[in-house]
Amino acid sequence: MTRARSGVLAEASKLGAFLRRDFLVRLSYRTALISDWINLFAQALVFSFVSKLVHPIHLAGVGRTTYIAYVTVGIAVAGFMALGLARLVSAIQQEQLLGTLESLMVTPTTASVVLLGSVVYDMIYVPIRTVVFLIIVSIVFNVSFAASGYVPAILILATFIPFVWGLGSIASASILTYRRGSGQIGLVTFALTFTSGAYFPLALFPSWVASLARLNPIAIAITGMRAQLIGDAGWHDALVTMAKLVPFSAITLLLGLYAFRLAMRRERRLGTLGLY
Amino acid sequence: MSGDANPLSAVLDARDVARSFGDKQVLSGVDLQVGAGRVSALLGPNGAGKTTFLRILTGLLLAERGQVLVAGIDVGQDPMAARRHIGFFPSADRTFYLRLSGLENLAFFGRMYGIRRQEALARARRRLADVGLSDAVDQRVGTYSHGMQKRLSMARALLMDPPVLVIDEATDGLDPEGARRVQDLTRTIAGDGTAVIWTTQRLDEIRGFADAVTVLDRGRTTFQGTVEDLMLKSSARGYLLRLRLGEAMLDDGAVQRAGAALGDRGTLQRVGADREHFRLDLAQHAVLGEVLADISATGAVVLDCAQQRSELEESFLRLTTARV
Repeated sequence: MTRARSGVLAEASKLGAFLRRDFLVRLSYRTALISDWINLFAQALVFSFVSKLVHPIHLAGVGRTTYIAYVTVGIAVAGFMALGLARLVSAIQQEQLLGTLESLMVTPTTASVVLLGSVVYDMIYVPIRTVVFLIIVSIVFNVSFAASGYVPAILILATFIPFVWGLGSIASASILTYRRGSGQIGLVTFALTFTSGAYFPLALFPSWVASLARLNPIAIAITGMRAQLIGDAGWHDALVTMAKLVPFSAITLLLGLYAFRLAMRRERRLGTLGLY
Repeated sequence: MSGDANPLSAVLDARDVARSFGDKQVLSGVDLQVGAGRVSALLGPNGAGKTTFLRILTGLLLAERGQVLVAGIDVGQDPMAARRHIGFFPSADRTFYLRLSGLENLAFFGRMYGIRRQEALARARRRLADVGLSDAVDQRVGTYSHGMQKRLSMARALLMDPPVLVIDEATDGLDPEGARRVQDLTRTIAGDGTAVIWTTQRLDEIRGFADAVTVLDRGRTTFQGTVEDLMLKSSARGYLLRLRLGEAMLDDGAVQRAGAALGDRGTLQRVGADREHFRLDLAQHAVLGEVLADISATGAVVLDCAQQRSELEESFLRLTTARV
């Protein structure tokens, strides 16, 4: 084993320590954990009533479905996006506020591992939460998802995850540099999510929004997952969706890691890493 | 100025370290060498550049000029490798995960050095015992007192048995017993061969503790040597005297006579409004006992004599721009 490779493995092994740390911290906030799930189901409950008012004719092009089935996929992916991004952004901010970021940075740990480590728990927890949510909603609200669509839908979600990580890393770098920006990040997330067709069919938007949605990775992921879970799509469609998502995910992730490294280097040069 | 250690054997060797923030020059060519088993105190008033210097030593900040070698590794060139050889005790209060126990915190930081969890736990338990926190290993750090958190910081700094220990104001906010405990532990660690850099604003704690002293002022080294050398830098010692003339207060004539008895050995000045208290400033060559005897010979009765500042404090104030 080369020295460089063993170095990479040693760095990667530290992620387990971050995972354990954040699991224990989250476990210590039991009420917040329970509230998260209650909020998620409250949202689904509201949409189950709204669903009774929406005629399936408005969902043409998706397949024979109900609004609750339609919107549940949107809630799951949009929730995944919002929560994942929020946690990514707040992870580094929290370390700064707690005063632990400098303590971490005086250990022989790379900036990339500090960033990845700070969010590794959420990288695992949030996708699991999304899948569990879909399964439970399908049982509780009697929403029928195509059983054969679960695996391709999960794979589409997995291809989409690095996009969220990348966007989160860019946002983290921005927060690290300017100490502000949560509002702007929230606005961008809302704009991307709202125009993704998460809650309404894209056909209801002006045509230019529908055109832009072709370049919106959230819209691509939601449309692809819907097609798998409530449409008649097969593996070929899933692969096409993933092929569309891969460039977005790869470029955003690389940009995010690069931006974060630049931000850390700048902080080190200015000596302001521990300040907030 | 080269510090307390032979540069060839110094575990920490900083040379000509300079750094500015915008137009403000915070460090201007600071040198410091610390050998194995030595405690080197770094003194300076607020804004002297101590913390900036420590941040450069630990690789948190880049120097604009100069070089820092830790165990022969250039911190600027390879900060990751250098950090393996440094234990850092930060001055900030909150540097731990407050929802986790002391043991979990130390095990986590241990793993950041690339060791396995079992080894990290074993090291953490050992170090927690060393700092007297064995009974609090499973207690959440959020419930620790200020003194316990300081000791936990020390345990973390020592976790990997580093050859260089950088301690930033460890006794700040500690009661005398807590401060003594941290100092004793540091002395023991230095006795085992660790090079220690100890920054403080408590001047008296370095007496009998530090092997060498560096005084920084406005980013420049104004003194390097031993504690005794620093004390010798004191040009005058201040005392507060309470004088009377029998049952009466000293009149102006009596004060003049007492002042004249001092000659070139110092000055006597009335202080306060009660006409009973005087400030006696002695020159370096003056002997306090002789001076007091000569004042008594003029008819004045010395009711009380209290030292106003230690020689260490006087030296420090002379070498820096701070005044009290």
